[in-house]
Amino acid sequence: MDVAVEQVRKIRWLILIYHLPREPSRHRVAVWRKLKALGALYLQDGAAALPDSAVTREQLEWLQLRVREAGGEATLWEALPNTVDENRALVEEFRGPREAAYRDLVEAAGKLRRKVAMGADGTVLLEVLAKIERDFRTERRRDYFRSPLRKVADAAIREARRVVKEGAGRAVREDAR
Amino acid sequence: MDRTACIWLIRRHIDPDAEFSFFGDASEAPEGAELFDVAGARLSHRGEDCSFETILEEYDLDDLVLREISEIVHDADLMDDRYGRPESDGLDAVIRGMQLTLPDDEALTLLTDAIFDGLYAYLRRETL
Repeated sequence: MDVAVEQVRKIRWLILIYHLPREPSRHRVAVWRKLKALGALYLQDGAAALPDSAVTREQLEWLQLRVREAGGEATLWEALPNTVDENRALVEEFRGPREAAYRDLVEAAGKLRRKVAMGADGTVLLEVLAKIERDFRTERRRDYFRSPLRKVADAAIREARRVVKEGAGRAVREDAR
Repeated sequence: MDRTACIWLIRRHIDPDAEFSFFGDASEAPEGAELFDVAGARLSHRGEDCSFETILEEYDLDDLVLREISEIVHDADLMDDRYGRPESDGLDAVIRGMQLTLPDDEALTLLTDAIFDGLYAYLRRETL
């Protein structure tokens, strides 16, 4: 799905530019992890971008502080690519990993439905379902541009939930017999 | 959420007469004000902790229910799922939404105070 020009024009970006001492490596790992968790895109080493919002701004401000506390340097910038095309390309790059994650979730939900059909243990299935739903929430939170597959994943997970719940109900009724 | 929770914590458990002023940038702070929950303040994020956790520590607030609330605030603020508290997401959505609908921070914190009072009462009933 293409992103409309007017929509693209409205997007503002935040860029965290940072540098951390090589050792101890745990700070570098922690910052990298946090940026990944936020769904940030590394433009290059030590330069990570996120779309501007109250949430991302707050998170990046704390990260900036964290880098400085760890003896590094960090500056936080508002930015705008020079052309609409570049801006659009950036949006597509953000969507890429989310699309991949949604695809995995659709697959996991399908697998779960097949397990219900094979009569697998209800408690285990509920745990798997809970994990899928948790992962979906994580992706949604960092899906800043509503990747097209979000709807598909949402529907697949709802369907899996319905089937698992039905299966659980049936198992209880059979136990009662 | 961290900031509104800190204000509630200060009003209810540290200094009921505390006065708060709200401004966009730290450079606009009135003279003599103690900043909190901003970079470099005494009462702010510390290592992996959010400001609410720092205040609990700094003021030796040893209270099981406050400890639980700090977990909820932490998960919402740091978004790292450290405590896996299910309350965080919903509460964060409500407070962020209220920020959009209410006229100013004064009005916001009056309502968030009531929310945290309720949360405290609820968790207390569970904890004791």
